[in-house]
Amino acid sequence: MKEEEKIYEEIINEIEKEGFKIKEELKEKIKREVKEKIKKELEEEIKKIKKKEEKEEEYFIRFSLNVRMQHFILALGCILLIITGLPIKFHESFWAEIYFKITGGIQVSRFLHRIGATLLVIVAMWHTIYLFTKEGRREFKELLPTKKDFLDFFQNIKYFLKLTDERPKFGRYSYIEKFDYWAVYWGMVIMIGSGTLMWFHNFFLGIIPKFIIDIAREAHSDEALLATLAIIIWHWYNAHFNPEVFPFNPTIFTGKISKERMMKEHPLEYEKIMKEKNKE
Amino acid sequence: MKKTLLFFLILNLYSQDIVSRNRRCFLCHGKEDYKIIEDGKEKSLYVSPGEYYQSVHKDFLCTACHYDVTTIPHLRKPKKIHCLQCHYAGNVVGAPVKEMPEKYKESIHGRAKEKGKEAPDCIDCHTTHYVRNPSDSLSTINKRNVPKTCGKCHSLVKEEYFKGVHGKALLKKIYETAVCNDCHKEHDIFPPEDPRSTLNPKNVVATCEKCHSDITIMKKYGVPIKQVEAFKESFHGIALEYGIVKSANCVSCHGSHEILPSKDPNSPIHPKNLANTCGKCHPRASENVAKGKYHVIPYEKEAGVVYYVYNFFKWFTFLVIFGLIVHIILDLTGRGLRKFKK
Repeated sequence: MKEEEKIYEEIINEIEKEGFKIKEELKEKIKREVKEKIKKELEEEIKKIKKKEEKEEEYFIRFSLNVRMQHFILALGCILLIITGLPIKFHESFWAEIYFKITGGIQVSRFLHRIGATLLVIVAMWHTIYLFTKEGRREFKELLPTKKDFLDFFQNIKYFLKLTDERPKFGRYSYIEKFDYWAVYWGMVIMIGSGTLMWFHNFFLGIIPKFIIDIAREAHSDEALLATLAIIIWHWYNAHFNPEVFPFNPTIFTGKISKERMMKEHPLEYEKIMKEKNKE
Repeated sequence: MKKTLLFFLILNLYSQDIVSRNRRCFLCHGKEDYKIIEDGKEKSLYVSPGEYYQSVHKDFLCTACHYDVTTIPHLRKPKKIHCLQCHYAGNVVGAPVKEMPEKYKESIHGRAKEKGKEAPDCIDCHTTHYVRNPSDSLSTINKRNVPKTCGKCHSLVKEEYFKGVHGKALLKKIYETAVCNDCHKEHDIFPPEDPRSTLNPKNVVATCEKCHSDITIMKKYGVPIKQVEAFKESFHGIALEYGIVKSANCVSCHGSHEILPSKDPNSPIHPKNLANTCGKCHPRASENVAKGKYHVIPYEKEAGVVYYVYNFFKWFTFLVIFGLIVHIILDLTGRGLRKFKK
């Protein structure tokens, strides 16, 4: 309060120096207004600081920008590959005919498919390098299957069937997420391997027997269907249609997860983080 | 009874009348050595009455076509006549007309003729005076005689044809085999670049398929049936279906006129020649291309290792997706149960 008084006294002094005389009423008014303004400013500042604190408390950063970018490119590549690939597998269907009519034939499709393939290869290489970083090593360790995952699985089934009311306590990655990760791992190996053979068949025809390319084509075609079904049935359920997250789980794009969901879905990780925080 | 008898009697009289009236023509034209010299060349004017009376035109007077011959013997050279003077749509003589003459005009032969080039017209294949029904084994356009008829001009192709499986089958009197017109058609022959051609890259498969997907014919001679189906499933087949015309079709590997079985060392699909055959399009193809099966249908045991890959993925996909769906259903029922009880 004293500072306030100083400020308006200074203002008044400055004005009087120039030869004006200020009435007592006006002096009082200036006093009041300055007081109010400063009060408002202070209040706003306090609000901002409080909000920041609230946010930090309510959200956790689940995925780093690096991981989010990997997922984004992978998703983009997969969508492009599925759209341009399935009409080749189901070339006899009416929708494949419509698709090829709209896009202007199989040449366009092949080109787009190879762009998608390039995106996928980029992600594969990026991820491999990522696994050697500090963050990557930590994440990979979290993703390795453990005995607890099998126990969690049975516990979860029991919970679904109302045989128990105790939900399995998941760590950073539940067995469901681990399954997703390793499914993509397997799919990438099959698809990129067989796809490379077919993309550069003119080169490989000179090196490997023809039946290997036949196998590659069959595996590519079959694994493509498996991956597409897994995405549509499993991934869409977990990321979109599950009542818990419907209509859309934004965590993989924003990186943020609410405290509430963190406590519910990853209680062990939450506990661990809180312990570390308290130590600090 | 009386009426039918009368009918036959009249018919008999009439046909006798034709023979007797034509006899006046055959007095000269029925002699085998009857010829004139035209443009310094001998030209035979002989028409065999025996063969004429077995042709489809046997009930016609010579003068029905050679209409400008009014007195016999005729003093002037009769005008050149053409089949189309009767065989046109709406004719009153009752000459059978199909779309053939129209098709012929559009065809490669018809167009060449129009431009004044040497190309076959009706009579070159059907003969002039001895036109027989195609089902008649002596007809020039009966299946057994077609290669000979076309071979009059296309003599090299004819030689190749009789070296190939189709030609050899024809020599063995297997009349289900393919002759020229089974692939090329007759009146509407187009160059392969023409999209209407049966041998346009986009149409080749359908052309071969006409016979090679016919189970009864193929089984009879032990020819594999599913080759066409397998081809359509192959990347060559799909590429061809959706616009890559340079993709391989049946002919690209098997050849066309001289098709040989893969056991024949001269065949382009003999394992030893495969590297060359594939090499036409795939420059790095080596003897590796012979290591593996062709026309593979993954869901048939003959496919070998591909069959097992197919089956592995079939069961793997089924199990995984089944498991995932069960997990989702359990999750949802669990949620439902809890909500309901509350």
